[in-house]
Amino acid sequence: MATVSTPWYRMDNASVMYSAIQREDYSAIYRFSAFMDREVDPAALQRAVDRAMPRFPGFAVRIRRGFFWHYFEPNPSPGPFVREDSADFCRPVRFGEDNGWLVRFLHYGRRISLEVFHAVADGAGALVFFRALLAEYLRQLGEDIPAGCAVDLDSPPSPGELEDAYLRHAGRVSRSFTQVKRAYQDLGTPEPFYTFNVTMGFVPIAQLKERASALGGTVTEYLSAVLIKLLLEKQRQERVHRQRPVALGIPVNLRPYFPTETLRNFIMTVQVSADPRLGDYSLPELVSLVRCQMRLYATPQNLRAVMTRGVKLQYNPLLQLIPSVLKNPIMLRSYRTSGVRPYTATFTNPGYFALPPEMSAHIEHMEVILGQAAVARPHISAIGYGGTMEITFSGTQQENDLEREFFRYLVREGMHVRVESTRG
Amino acid sequence: MSYCVNCGVELGAGAGSCPLCHTPVQNPHAVPDNDAPPFFPTRHEGVEPVSRRMAGLLLSSMLASVALCCGILNLLFYRELWWSFFPGGAAVMLWVWFAMPLLFRRLSAWCRLTLDTLAIGVYVLLIALAVHGLDWYLRLAVPMLLCAVCVCPTVIWVVRYRRLSILSSAILVLLTAGFLAAAVELFCDLYLRGVWRPGWSLIVLISCVGLCIPLIVIRRVPSLREEARRRFHV
Ligand SMILES: [Zn+2]
Repeated sequence: MATVSTPWYRMDNASVMYSAIQREDYSAIYRFSAFMDREVDPAALQRAVDRAMPRFPGFAVRIRRGFFWHYFEPNPSPGPFVREDSADFCRPVRFGEDNGWLVRFLHYGRRISLEVFHAVADGAGALVFFRALLAEYLRQLGEDIPAGCAVDLDSPPSPGELEDAYLRHAGRVSRSFTQVKRAYQDLGTPEPFYTFNVTMGFVPIAQLKERASALGGTVTEYLSAVLIKLLLEKQRQERVHRQRPVALGIPVNLRPYFPTETLRNFIMTVQVSADPRLGDYSLPELVSLVRCQMRLYATPQNLRAVMTRGVKLQYNPLLQLIPSVLKNPIMLRSYRTSGVRPYTATFTNPGYFALPPEMSAHIEHMEVILGQAAVARPHISAIGYGGTMEITFSGTQQENDLEREFFRYLVREGMHVRVESTRG
Repeated sequence: MSYCVNCGVELGAGAGSCPLCHTPVQNPHAVPDNDAPPFFPTRHEGVEPVSRRMAGLLLSSMLASVALCCGILNLLFYRELWWSFFPGGAAVMLWVWFAMPLLFRRLSAWCRLTLDTLAIGVYVLLIALAVHGLDWYLRLAVPMLLCAVCVCPTVIWVVRYRRLSILSSAILVLLTAGFLAAAVELFCDLYLRGVWRPGWSLIVLISCVGLCIPLIVIRRVPSLREEARRRFHV
């Protein structure tokens, strides 16, 4: 287990995967942005970054390539430096470039963005970090932000924040989810490298909640059901020879199930699916289907068994002995069969980003972007803040059918949708 | 602020058309504000390919020194034969195959493939020149190379871009292998005897076709295909 005193630490179960599937033109990366009430002051932001990084040693790391495994090591290089944002969101991370930093801080107009390589932390961990950074940035601007608003930057980092929670909570029984093996692949035409398309929709949370609860679900379940419905329709219109199930990968934060302080990865992807060969589904049926599947799979027993399987695999003595040069291609291959093919799309909702009034007065809205998928298909992510739910469709495919139909669907459901996009 | 008449979504202040359906905004009360800063940055930085210059240069210098040493030795020993053409040509071929992709990363795959094949052709030509064998070069090596150049990229293209199933790809590859074997024997026969007498290649071709027949049957019969899928997880 990792402690602060060790100068290096092992990757957790998710990091191993994310660093193994890393390619020259692909990395698992995501971005959170805060849209402030005024233009960003880069100098103040840099001061805030310099103050915040030492408090979060889990983010101030670089990845070294060991003979058997990649591992993390504190990064002694100068930086990370705040940079002006460009249109190339979520660019791939390279372990040898940019001084080895795995986090990026960017600013554009009124927007502060944090990009994180997924091996370092999951969304929940990164949001704790981002919150502390925003609080410090506002303090640097001279705002009075009380100490309790975010993590205290003067307190020493807690060892629990660096723990590998998968390892600690693994049980004895190991099992994999029973799930759809091969789902409908909503593949588009890939854009030339590196073009990344982002479309955001801003929807009032109250309207979403009202509609979702009328159908007996939460907002996540409702949005997932709408996505499944549209993907089912899309597949039907494509008139494929053999209709496949439509399956969404929904990352579940494991912290509510297993107590831990960790800011590293502690998530697991749950699959919700609908099989068109069984017949047509109405939206209320899909909402209850999604709800039931989430309840069925996301139980502590189930999650622990799947987690144990991953940890056992990682610590398997035979696998340990394979050099990483050979191991990584094997893992890339297994990622294709277990991480790409079973899913039509990914939908992640890191939850509601609640801020104390002292901070929320200065932040207009929040945004989240998932970096490119391993293949040209959309990634969908959402974050709630204030009264607005921000829903992002991002990816490297040229087509925008799914996002167009999705936002039109919400409009037909009687919601107010504002759309912003990098597409012309 | 304007709404898309087609989608019903509210658009940003600077939007001249709807990003979802590209319908132009025509709102006399709210002309698109072209001076408003764009919501997202528009400056493209581009992402450079990973630099492999050092590795490429190292490999180039290694190959160059091999070729140079052999050339000098050739001037000293066994001067009656141009034997340094063999290692020297091999060095050039290896350079085109391995060092060039590292140094020129923007070359397309097809361009690289063409150069790789040309390198083989030139290497064989060098050998032919060294052993005074232009005759077999023109009548044996060139036709075989041309045949491989025509067939292999076509198969790769079909398999990769037509998204063939594993079964169809296997059938295609097997048939191609059989055809290439037949072609090789044809050229050999024509060169050695002047007439085509199919022998060993016929056996190869028939075995390939024989292997294909069950695959084609599985491919054509849906229930069998489903069974094969289940058994082999393809
Ligand atoms: Zn529109």
